[in-house]
Amino acid sequence: MAPPYISFERVEVKYTPLVYGVRGVTLAIQRGDFVFFVGKTGAGKSTLIKLLTREIKATSGRVLFGGLNLEDLPNRKTPGLRRMMGIVPQDFALLPRKRVWENVAYAMRAVGHPRREVLKRVPEILEQVSIGHRADAFPHELSGGEQQRVAIARALINSPSLLVADEPTGNLDPELSWEIMELLRSLNDRGTTVLVASHDMMVIHRMAKRIVTLDGGKIVGDSRPPTLQEALDV
Amino acid sequence: MFDRLQFLFSEALTALRRNLLMTFAAISTVAISLFLIGGLGYVYYRVNQFSQTVPGMFDVRVYLRDGISRDEIRATASAIRSLPGVKESVWLPKDKMWERTRAENPQFADVPNPYPEAFKVTLSDLDAGPSVVQSIRAMPAVSTEANGVVYRSDEQRFVTQVLSIVRWVGSVAGGLLFVTAGLLIYNAIRLTILSRRLEIRIMRLVGASGFTVTVPFLIEGIVQGLLGGAVAAVLLWLSSNLVADFIGSHNALGHPPEFPLGTVTALLCCAGAAYGFLCSSLAARTPLRFR
Repeated sequence: MAPPYISFERVEVKYTPLVYGVRGVTLAIQRGDFVFFVGKTGAGKSTLIKLLTREIKATSGRVLFGGLNLEDLPNRKTPGLRRMMGIVPQDFALLPRKRVWENVAYAMRAVGHPRREVLKRVPEILEQVSIGHRADAFPHELSGGEQQRVAIARALINSPSLLVADEPTGNLDPELSWEIMELLRSLNDRGTTVLVASHDMMVIHRMAKRIVTLDGGKIVGDSRPPTLQEALDV
Repeated sequence: MFDRLQFLFSEALTALRRNLLMTFAAISTVAISLFLIGGLGYVYYRVNQFSQTVPGMFDVRVYLRDGISRDEIRATASAIRSLPGVKESVWLPKDKMWERTRAENPQFADVPNPYPEAFKVTLSDLDAGPSVVQSIRAMPAVSTEANGVVYRSDEQRFVTQVLSIVRWVGSVAGGLLFVTAGLLIYNAIRLTILSRRLEIRIMRLVGASGFTVTVPFLIEGIVQGLLGGAVAAVLLWLSSNLVADFIGSHNALGHPPEFPLGTVTALLCCAGAAYGFLCSSLAARTPLRFR
């Protein structure tokens, strides 16, 4: 079996002497997986995401991403790490005075893509998340689901092999949440590893993907959907 | 490369536009402080240089008693030369002086020589003028009459006062304003960081380098300092013209040299830009944390 794409090895994050983010988490994720982190508020879902995006560092243990030990990674290399992944925030983080295509173009320009490439790639990315028809709209003219699509589009500018989303449907109604999950599934079908922190259990169960359940900073459950063979056996 | 620079400069320009009032406050304070420090420093240097280069303007004339011997003249000359603040002391023999006067005015041919023996004393330090004069008056060979030692003490006092005012105003007010200007640039950049926190967050989300995030703020600080320096140069040029007119109106003071606008502008702009860079890099050292 290939070594895991992402692995957490006895990871502990201590915010203060009494407050833990996660405690002794060990977890392996393969390339191409779609994993939900679920649990109550404060369970440690976001901490796992933040360990990967290197917003926080583990107090002890190791976090490996593509064979890279993130605990040994110097701070100056964090931007390079983030260019290897797409990050989707819960609040969309769109620039209100820029149009949809400008929001994506701005992010591309910020990471150094030349203008010619930006002009070529932005429509492609917007089409990829089915928001191309709203390219000239401002964020306030979009629905919540459409805004989240733009945020996902922006996360795809570096063609990442990993997409991490922290509560991507937290601000959306069930129908729009399902749309976003379908979009994430389609990206996963094309080979992108997707990690989602969420507590939207209805949508999560409907997706039938791997679910890692956290409670009090510890993993209390790790369920995989039945494979086709398992389903046929049943 | 050009693409990259264009992005960084457009970010800086957006920041400058967004905080227009703060930008104006920072630029004007930099301008005033640079005007006071650099400008008055320049005026001080020029007035000081001018007062020392105008020939004979602050020379001291020393007249000796009648019937004085050559030895006494020599002793007096060496005593004067040894005084602190004295550059040189030249003996003006009474016979030679009278000879010259008679050559210029033949009608005095039969008049007996009225001149006493005298010295022309040139000062190296204008501030030392009053003490030098006092010491010379106390010398036994020097005439005790009121005009035994002639010195333009009023003009000297005026120049010394001007230099003193320039020095104090320049260092105290200029220094305070310089610090204030620095704080204003710092605050302007912090406000920019605050107003652009969403852009900063997006940049970090997508993996923009620290260089890309920070450089627009440094450019903003440099532009503020640079513009402040340029405004200070214009202010200085205007005030230098006023000073030149003032000095010109005092005929005895002659005319000051031309104002080197190009050099001063370049110097003040460089100083402003360097200060802007320093303050903005301090402000950008603690960037907002990425959520």
